[in-house]
Amino acid sequence: MTDRRAALAAATDQEVVALARTGHEPAYRELIRRYERPIFSLVFRMVRDRELAEDLAQETFVKALNAIESYRPEFKFSSWIFKIANNAAIDHLRRRELDTLSLDGSPHAETPEAMEATALQIGNRLESPLDAVEAKELGGAIEAAIGRLRPEYRSCILLRHVEGRAYEEIAEILNLPLGTVKTYIHRARNELRQSLAHLRE
Amino acid sequence: MTRSVNPHLSSDDFDALLEGAASQEAHAHLDACAFCREQVAADRAVVTRLESLSSFAPSPAFPDQVMARVAVPDPFALHSFGSAGRRMFATRRSLAAAASVAIIVVGAMAASVIWTLGNRETLAAAGSWLGGEAMSWLWIAVRGGAANLMEQPWYAAARGFLGSPTRLAILSAAITTVYLGGLFALRRLMALPAQGGAHAHA
Repeated sequence: MTDRRAALAAATDQEVVALARTGHEPAYRELIRRYERPIFSLVFRMVRDRELAEDLAQETFVKALNAIESYRPEFKFSSWIFKIANNAAIDHLRRRELDTLSLDGSPHAETPEAMEATALQIGNRLESPLDAVEAKELGGAIEAAIGRLRPEYRSCILLRHVEGRAYEEIAEILNLPLGTVKTYIHRARNELRQSLAHLRE
Repeated sequence: MTRSVNPHLSSDDFDALLEGAASQEAHAHLDACAFCREQVAADRAVVTRLESLSSFAPSPAFPDQVMARVAVPDPFALHSFGSAGRRMFATRRSLAAAASVAIIVVGAMAASVIWTLGNRETLAAAGSWLGGEAMSWLWIAVRGGAANLMEQPWYAAARGFLGSPTRLAILSAAITTVYLGGLFALRRLMALPAQGGAHAHA
C-alpha cells in the first residue's frame, strides 16, 4: 500500500492523469495533493478572502477533475489547472467590480449629491474576526502591495515569482502573447518597487 | 534594444540580469550607470520578497470536499471496455509489461507452429510414445489401487453388505441426501445478511 503511494508520488503529472482517467481514485487524490496549495495560494492572493478562495479553488478542482477526459496530455497539467483557477478568480473579480460600481449610486443620478443619496452604505471590510485573521495572513507589506496591483498584473507576478512558472507557460495559462506577459511582469515589478520603496529607505 | 534612444537598460535586460543571464553589454552598462544599478537592486529585493512568500493551505477537509463532487469513472464497469485498454497504456511500466507479455505469447505461438510444421514425424512419434506410456502408468495405478483395496480387513464385510441391491440403493440415497443437505447449508452460510435485519441488542 505504502509502495503504491510512493510510486504514485514519484509518477509524473501525465502518468497520474492517465491513471485517473482509468478510474483510479488515489490518482485523483494525488493530483489534489500536488496542486491544492499552489492553486489555493494563487486564488487567495487574487481574491484576498479565505472562504471565497476555498470555494473557488474547490470549483477549480471539481471542474478540472470532472473534465479530465478532455485534458490534452501534450500540454502541462499545471498550466491547465492554473488556467482554470485564474479564470475563476478573474471572473469573480470582474463580477465584484460590477457589484462595487452599482454600490456607488444609481447610474441615473446626475449630480454628486444624487449619487451620494442613492449609494448603499457598507461597513468597513476589516470588521469581522475572520477578516482580521485574513488581514494578518495577507498583512505583510509585500502582500498589501500585491493586493493593490491590477488583477492581470497580479496573476502574472504571482505565477512568475511566487509559483516560479516560465514566461511561456504564463502566456499559455493567461492566454496572452509572450510580449504582453513580459510587459505586465515588468510593470508589476515597477509598481511593487514603488510601493515598497519606503521599506528600503 | 532601444538603448540609442533610451540611455538605460531595457526590460529584457532587467529580466536577464535577474535571472543571471544578462549580456556582457548589459553588465558593462550596469557598471557605468548608477540609476540602472539602483533599479536592478530594487528589483532583486522585490523578487527576493516574492520568492520568500509562503504558500497557504486550504482546510484539511478540502480533498474530501472536492472528491465528493467528482465523478470518478468505475474501472470495473462492463460497458467501459476502453478503460482496460487505457489502464494498459497508463504508465510506461504498464505499457512495457503489456508489450513484453504480448511479445512472449506471440513469439512462443509462432515458434511452436514453425517447429510443428518442420517436425511432423517426430511430433507424431513423440505423441504415440507419450500416449502409450500414459496408458501403461494409468493401468498400473488402477491395478495397484484395486489390489490394495482387496487386502483391507473390512473389504469382505463391505462387499457382503453391498451385495444386496436394496441396501446399495439405500446407501446411495443416504449419500445423495447428505451431499444435497451439505450444499444447501453451504449456500445459506455464503448468503449475504439481509438489509435492515433484526437488532437483537438495541
